[in-house]
Amino acid sequence: MSLTRRTFLLATSGACVSLGGCDPLEVLRAPAQESGTFVASTSPGIDLAQHVLGRCTFGLRPGDRSAFLALAPQPRAATAAWIEEQLAPQKIDDERAERAVRRCDSLDAPIGELYEYKPQVLLRELTAAALLRATFSKRQLYEVLVEFWTDHFNIDCSKGECAWLKAGDDREVIRKHAFGRFPELLRASAFSPAMLWYLDGRANVKRTAIERPNENYARELLELHTLGVHGGYTQQDVMEAARCLTGWTVRDKNGFRKASVEFHADEHDDGRKSVLGVEIPAGGRERDAEILLETVAKHPSTAAHVSTKLCQRFLSDDPPRAAVEAVAAAFRTSGGEIVATLRALLVRPEFLAEEPEFAALRGAKLKRPFHYTVSILRATEAATDAGPALTSYLARMGHAPFQFPTPDGYPEEAAAWQGALFWRWKLALALAGGHVEGTRIDAPRLLERVGGHDGLVAHLLGRQPSARERELFLGRGAPILGLLLASPIFQRC
Amino acid sequence: MILHPQVAKDTERDEPRALIAIFLRGAADGLALVPPVGDDDYHRARPRIAVQASEGLRLDGFFALHPLMAELLPLFQEGQLSIVHACGSDDDTRSHFEAQDLMEHGGTSVAGGWIGRWLRASGGSGPLAALALGPQLPESLRGAPSAAALESLDELRPGDDTEPVREVLGELYRGDELLGPSACDALAAAARIGELAQRTYQPEHGAVYATAADGEIAQDFGRGLARIAQLVKARVGVRAATLDLEGWDSHFVQETVIAPRLRAVALALSAFARDLGPLLATTSVVVMTEFGRRVGENGSLGTDHGRGGAFFVLGGGTSGGMHCRWPGLGEGSLIGPGDLSVVHDYRDALAGVLARHGAGDRMERVFPGRVIAPMPV
Repeated sequence: MSLTRRTFLLATSGACVSLGGCDPLEVLRAPAQESGTFVASTSPGIDLAQHVLGRCTFGLRPGDRSAFLALAPQPRAATAAWIEEQLAPQKIDDERAERAVRRCDSLDAPIGELYEYKPQVLLRELTAAALLRATFSKRQLYEVLVEFWTDHFNIDCSKGECAWLKAGDDREVIRKHAFGRFPELLRASAFSPAMLWYLDGRANVKRTAIERPNENYARELLELHTLGVHGGYTQQDVMEAARCLTGWTVRDKNGFRKASVEFHADEHDDGRKSVLGVEIPAGGRERDAEILLETVAKHPSTAAHVSTKLCQRFLSDDPPRAAVEAVAAAFRTSGGEIVATLRALLVRPEFLAEEPEFAALRGAKLKRPFHYTVSILRATEAATDAGPALTSYLARMGHAPFQFPTPDGYPEEAAAWQGALFWRWKLALALAGGHVEGTRIDAPRLLERVGGHDGLVAHLLGRQPSARERELFLGRGAPILGLLLASPIFQRC
Repeated sequence: MILHPQVAKDTERDEPRALIAIFLRGAADGLALVPPVGDDDYHRARPRIAVQASEGLRLDGFFALHPLMAELLPLFQEGQLSIVHACGSDDDTRSHFEAQDLMEHGGTSVAGGWIGRWLRASGGSGPLAALALGPQLPESLRGAPSAAALESLDELRPGDDTEPVREVLGELYRGDELLGPSACDALAAAARIGELAQRTYQPEHGAVYATAADGEIAQDFGRGLARIAQLVKARVGVRAATLDLEGWDSHFVQETVIAPRLRAVALALSAFARDLGPLLATTSVVVMTEFGRRVGENGSLGTDHGRGGAFFVLGGGTSGGMHCRWPGLGEGSLIGPGDLSVVHDYRDALAGVLARHGAGDRMERVFPGRVIAPMPV
């Protein structure tokens, strides 16, 4: 029955767009729009509300500021309240995002059934869902962490059966554990069918005395997922880690129990091992992998490595050492609880940047292309189907989700992204001009709600413009919306 | 001839070479494109559809070019065109999808496509570094630092980025330490593309691309390659471009299926070579297909899925000539159900071209998991 329904939906999903009364834009549009006027920042600089919202979300929607500031009489108290709210996403009603992704039928398919879809359909739905959730979810901090872990445990859909299995990894590993405990996230990733394909874990076997384990996953486990490249492990540790993982494999698409993860004792190296100073006695079988994963998850270098990356995401490319150390301490003492670690980060003075010494951090972070794209959709309350016309721009800007080939994931540093301005401008101007099929901005309505051109400038800059900026945006007769979205200020948060 | 110093310098600066990858989808019959007319087994296997020695255009004492591809003969004779025969992959599913997928990724179970990995490994890229002429990105461009699928150049032209917009953007980004240089590049690219937009494209050096009189297939394909020529000549930073020609799956009355496509390839490649003029020396064109076709003809004057096929390499400093250790078509030399052996791995052929595009010492990153022996193509 479910197969029939899915097949039917697959067959008709393309036709749906062209039928009257079934416009996906209209479906999204209704819940996406808030009514009434909204107020942009009146501050000459990026104020606390703007800063916190800019860094912890995929960009401000109209009304986000007011809702934030209404949480408490003082901005500092409102910040604390907002962060606590975001750190408990299960309490935030997210009907809007759920509705937006409802059309993406494959998102709910059990892993073994993903093979019933064409890989192109899965990638399209996965990409659309990522965009739609980032755009419409009220659980913004959670979605930011989903993107963070997607890069940390990067899987490229173009490798082997990842084309089918990444959709399962996204749901069962990344989204399930994004706000959970790091050791459980790591374990879920290690035994994820997609990861077993992507880093060749499925081919890591030791059947004879001369057979050598496949080290690919073991190396990236230490270098990228846990300790970090300078985290104090040796080549010997990589080889021993690989031995611990021998025999873990995943069934492929040809046969029964597709995508089921299994331990084959006859392909496991069952001798004694020593990883990072931990002795693992012979005969441990499946336990070897568990001991290995526990060992690397709680290693102090892992706390430092993950905390550094989180600080790079929320603070700057080269985050202040004191902040990294405080965050790493929270990671260690909480046993890798992601929420506790984030809370420690988001109260840091280096993050809040209220002191003059940190003031330059505000508004200084370059949005990556995905973030940039979503922030346009959010700021303008665009209605979108997140379809190919929009996602083709992500590839042009070099940031197509789930398509980064190497296991280090899309880079965070600004230097890696400064070259894509040509396409960022094209996107901004095309969206503002209404030339991206499947995405619509109601510019007159936005202008009316924000109280005219001056309001629009303040809304999109996140502050009042300087006299020179005001002259450039409003005094040259260039179309204002596209110009604001293409401006260097809107490239940053 | 005396070159103005500035001109010489510009040429040097714009030296980055362009690689054009053309994929003949559906498995083009290498034994029809480049028939081994000197091989008696060939004529025995194809009593009704073989290209006769008398009609084939002689390349050497053994191979000929299909008579419908006559425009390519001069390029071959001048040493601008190399042909790799008995070339293909180790995929033996004989499935179009599987074999194309494998060939575009450049290996089994590797992430990204071969062009994408090459661009990433060779560093440096601009907004137009990797282009696909068509509705979507091919697998070969996966993982490129930036890749754009374009159905027409209109998508590049200044539509909404009018002069006043660009002027204001220039001022806004001036002095921006991080983004200023990128803004200059983007404005320069926009200006160059703006120049392209102002006039209809005029091929140079007497080149003529296919017209409606040559049939729709030839006209469309020629238009695609003309667009690529236009972008390469405009020096907007194109380092790789891909273009497809579909419909080579000639199970039934092969000649009617492939004739218009043979014309399309011959007309487009010859026009492109002429159009580029001196720039052909730094522009490589690779023509590939997922596999060749069965040696013996079938009952409906067609051919079925096979293994070894023919690749072409045009320009870019190619050595020219035939590149093939011919395995023969006798009973003992065929593989599977009667297919030409794959003597030359497609990656070795591609590596020979990539070596001239700065990939020389990075080949293991482009084709991981295989020891590459670049062919001198």
